Amino acid sequence: MGPLIPNDIISHEWSYIIAILIGLAFGYIMEASGFSSSRKLAGVFYGYDFVVLKVFFTAALVSVIGILYMDYLGYLDFNSLYVHPTFLWGAIIGGAIMGIGFVSGGFCPGTSLCAVAIGKIDAMVFVGGILIGIFIFSELISFFEPIYSGYYFGNVTLVDSLGISPYWFVFIFTIIAIIAFIVVDIIRKKNKKIFYN
Amino acid sequence: MINRKLAKVLSFRYKILAVIFLVLAGGLVVLPKYEKQEGILPEALLKNAVSSERYISTDELADLIINQDPSFILIDVREEESYKKFSLPNSINIPLDKLLSEDSNSYLNQDQFDVILFSNDHFYADQAWLICNRLDYNHIRVLKGGLNAWFNTIINPEKPSENQSVIASELYSFRKAASMYFGVAYPDEFKAKPVVKIIPKKKVIPKKKKKKMPVEGGC
Repeated sequence: MGPLIPNDIISHEWSYIIAILIGLAFGYIMEASGFSSSRKLAGVFYGYDFVVLKVFFTAALVSVIGILYMDYLGYLDFNSLYVHPTFLWGAIIGGAIMGIGFVSGGFCPGTSLCAVAIGKIDAMVFVGGILIGIFIFSELISFFEPIYSGYYFGNVTLVDSLGISPYWFVFIFTIIAIIAFIVVDIIRKKNKKIFYN
Repeated sequence: MINRKLAKVLSFRYKILAVIFLVLAGGLVVLPKYEKQEGILPEALLKNAVSSERYISTDELADLIINQDPSFILIDVREEESYKKFSLPNSINIPLDKLLSEDSNSYLNQDQFDVILFSNDHFYADQAWLICNRLDYNHIRVLKGGLNAWFNTIINPEKPSENQSVIASELYSFRKAASMYFGVAYPDEFKAKPVVKIIPKKKVIPKKKKKKMPVEGGC
């Protein structure tokens, strides 16, 4: 049956409307769970709040387990899902820059917009920084091009490159996630409590 | 009033959630594996099979060839020997047993042209159609009646008797004209010059259409 849009159960034209609705829900839930606070977000780097790690790990697990069950039951074709292609060094360098921006600015691109929506001035400055970064990157695109579109590995997934069954992979991933949750909880308890909002 | 029992249960909520996760993920590992059906769904195949779009008549095909319509590829699914003896103009030979080879894939699995399969009757062509359809190749059609029908209708059309309708005689005159296009001479038509048109066999290399980029997202 699914995915709904590639199989034309929902037509292509709806994809933007659905994207907007999902985006609104995503932003609302992020704000409601405190993700518009840069102190909360940066807490993962200083060891007093690991909600970012927990949320993203949990979200990944819920979706991957759900997808695999739906694939097993025939509601979704696992192989026709879009897999983002890997540009190895582009991803590594981009990830490092994003990490530095995250720890120094206290937002990731999505949460910064979320915080702008509730009127935080630091987030507005952060978004301004993003726009300047985009401008510089666009101007120097010919210089970055070899890294940007080089080291192309295609639409690889961890399951393909490790050569193990996706079911075993998800099981191991779940165990790793739960261990990570326990470890970060121990770290958080060792740190002094910090109050913020 | 605080429900003490509920509060007691809720204090274990993270542990409960972790256990649920483990059970669900473990369930994936222990589920009995089965071979997945490849190709399109049986319902879709059945729907395509009963659709009238599946066949193209010899008259329609003659019209396409005479008008030099560029939007279709003719594929002969008979053996190579039969293909060499005679075939339709501009047709490509892909014998049934080579249907799934890589060379033929570029002809069959594309969105640009209509593919018209034919054989002596439509029996082999139907088999090829079924295989292609299960693999979700688009725009595959079968020449109804195959080459036999082609000869009986286009090359050697039956003259309608006098008590048949106007439509039958119109169809006959179309078929007659078509057969003259394909080089059949009629002695009673003193004006008609038999022109044997040799159309060079041309290979059509279809270009693959670019697929629409899916919407990308990120954090």
